[in-house]
Amino acid sequence: MNRRQKLLILTILITLIIVCTYLAGICISEEAIAVDFTNAKLKPSLHHLFGTDWLGRDLFARTMKGLSISITVGVVASAISAIIAVLIGIASAASSKVIDSIINWVIDLVMGVPHLILIILISFACGRGLKGLLIGIAVTHWTSLARLIRAEVLGLRTEHYIAVSRKLGKSNGFILIHHILPHMIPQFIVGLVLMFPHAILHEASVSFLGYGLSPEQPAIGIILSESMKYLSSGMWWLAFFPGLTLVSIVFLFDRLGDNLKSLIDPYSAQE
Amino acid sequence: MKKHKKYLSRITLLVLLLLLVTGCSKSSNSPTKGNEIDNNSVVIAISTEPTTLDPCISWGHGTTPLIQSTLVEYNQDMIFSNDLATDYSISDDGLTWTFTIRNDVTFTDGEPLTASDVAFTFNTAKKGQSSLDLTFMDKAEATSDDTIVFTLNRPTSTFLNTIATTGIVPEHTYNENYGTAPIGSGPYTFVQWNKGEQLMLKANKDYYGTVPSIENVTIVFMTEDAAFAATKAGQVDVALTSATLATADIAGYYLKTVTSLDNRGFTLPVTPDEGKITESGFPYGNNVTCNLEIRQALAYGIDREQIAKVALNGFADPAYSENDGMPWNNPEVIIATDKIYAKKLLTDNGWIDTDNDGIVDKDGLKAEFTCIYPAGDSFRQAVALAASAEAKELGINIIVEGTSWDDISKRMFSDAVLMGWGSSNPYTSYSLYHTDTMLKDDYYNPEGYSNQTVDSYLDVAMKSLTPEEAYENWKKAQWDGTTGTSMKGDCPWVWLVNMHHLYYVREGLDIGNQQLHAHGASMPLLQNLKDWSWEN
Repeated sequence: MNRRQKLLILTILITLIIVCTYLAGICISEEAIAVDFTNAKLKPSLHHLFGTDWLGRDLFARTMKGLSISITVGVVASAISAIIAVLIGIASAASSKVIDSIINWVIDLVMGVPHLILIILISFACGRGLKGLLIGIAVTHWTSLARLIRAEVLGLRTEHYIAVSRKLGKSNGFILIHHILPHMIPQFIVGLVLMFPHAILHEASVSFLGYGLSPEQPAIGIILSESMKYLSSGMWWLAFFPGLTLVSIVFLFDRLGDNLKSLIDPYSAQE
Repeated sequence: MKKHKKYLSRITLLVLLLLLVTGCSKSSNSPTKGNEIDNNSVVIAISTEPTTLDPCISWGHGTTPLIQSTLVEYNQDMIFSNDLATDYSISDDGLTWTFTIRNDVTFTDGEPLTASDVAFTFNTAKKGQSSLDLTFMDKAEATSDDTIVFTLNRPTSTFLNTIATTGIVPEHTYNENYGTAPIGSGPYTFVQWNKGEQLMLKANKDYYGTVPSIENVTIVFMTEDAAFAATKAGQVDVALTSATLATADIAGYYLKTVTSLDNRGFTLPVTPDEGKITESGFPYGNNVTCNLEIRQALAYGIDREQIAKVALNGFADPAYSENDGMPWNNPEVIIATDKIYAKKLLTDNGWIDTDNDGIVDKDGLKAEFTCIYPAGDSFRQAVALAASAEAKELGINIIVEGTSWDDISKRMFSDAVLMGWGSSNPYTSYSLYHTDTMLKDDYYNPEGYSNQTVDSYLDVAMKSLTPEEAYENWKKAQWDGTTGTSMKGDCPWVWLVNMHHLYYVREGLDIGNQQLHAHGASMPLLQNLKDWSWEN
């Protein structure tokens, strides 16, 4: 088995784990995370893998549900963000100097404001909840990918085959769709997957700070922020396990992005 | 790149280790009291910091102003006694209240306290943005150095309660910065206030009453979990704690449980949703909770003892009204839990589970409503979730949702809210239930409750000249045998529990005879600060 095959298997494995986590979260019923005061404040055991909180809710079920919300937010927000990035990146590179500098100025502006503050503001303005968070994360994360795509397109524009195509009388639209966009696919996919961890962590932080999802939703940020109140009374498992799983999922997404990059990036795909 | 990463991870590890080491070591310059007890001082950790120390704005209202003194005060049984006042009389029409005051009292700057200071205090409080409702007072006038006459525009039997919590400020030094460095004539003098951190007070050696036995008082403001940690480290003498934390034993401390009328319950909109809006433009009414049988089924079917015992670790008592335990409470408001009666109420009125989903319905309407509470309040969350679980047994689905106060102020007219009240002033009952107060933005009567009979009792109670007469009518407003504000009557509220106020107190410290606490666990604790003492 060569390195490429190993990488491929690893990538599939990671994807499977993420998909399973997501499905597990979806399949867990509301009953599993219901309040049960008779089983409150239990330490981790075989019956309650991650223990229970002060309301007797099973933390494992809550964490899994939280992860699936995180994954949803991560995927949807990143996808929107990546699409924005491609559109803006190409528009910037393919249009006049004036539009290009305006777009660059906007990118600088969005990059200049700390993401977290911008997300809080947008999420608050959109009435909080899932919708506000998705919009907030989507409109703040496209900048670096847009820069990358702009640079790529600028590079491609001077290629000989583009020049040939133009001489043959092909329209700008034809060149864009047939010659430029296909080259963007690797950047798009890798950029998209590498955006997931950012989006997930931002979702968790904004919810942690109380500007995101409502406290009834079992989001990881909510679980962590609630756990803070009980750390001093020795309920360490409230923060430990959900925190650990969040980090693991983020790490997995990061690896997935890196692996995909090695597999489909033309510079390394031939190794 | 790889090499770079390796370095980075090593540095991170190093930093983490350093943090771990420094985090574990005890900082040496912190004011740790250790085990040596200073008989002259006390450190108190509470969670709510006052916004000002000015009684003309909000300081001391509902409790006691500590730094300033009041005309009258009340004891544990709500019996009034004179403090600054030596005597008072009320005219037959209830509109003129005349007080005579002591002439031997001085402010801590040496100036004497006269009737004009008293008049100044009340007139200033009336003019300004005060949390005192003085709309019933026309003016306060000093007719001599020791006589003051209050003229009211309508008889107000609760005026004495208002007077008992209004500290007198010195007219000669009062300005807009008074609230940050006040001068008064109370048992304590102001020393220093670091906003967001601590308030320091010192016993007033020249106090005209009994000089407090503890000389130095430091009140630190911290969240309950921070206070818990500080108590474990032995840094505070008294710490406010919560029902979820108080199950832990801390060596060297005992848990002081104070019963309160700090109640929690559901406000349930009593009108149907007809698309109407309040004066401020928020929709009001709820098609499920507008049915009396739904409200009463909840009132009778929810097991309050169970909620107190299981969800709140036993740190609460069942609540049946806004003023349980007060002299103006009608003992008949108490109802026994009766799930069978509750279910019968529902079936008798046509609420039957036709689609077998566990929730009863009537004419296609499910017995389901949303209850909102301020997110982050773990006590209200536990009460709401426990009550919701109890309601489900009856076939009523309460969807519990935590949100911000900002959001609650918009939705409280159309959704149930897990609210809390409880005060040592019967005027609260008027605010909660009178038609004049319905659907206002002040959180008192968001359910839109209005009942002519109740209004007349409340009006008579306000006009009464003696407390006894007033108490009689406050009680009738709750339940007169046929109607009233209680759960037997119109049931606009389903009261659930009176929370216990919980404090870790260092062994050897006596925090006196705490009276029944009002809403808010921080300030009522300090009401009897002057009676606290260390055992030798």
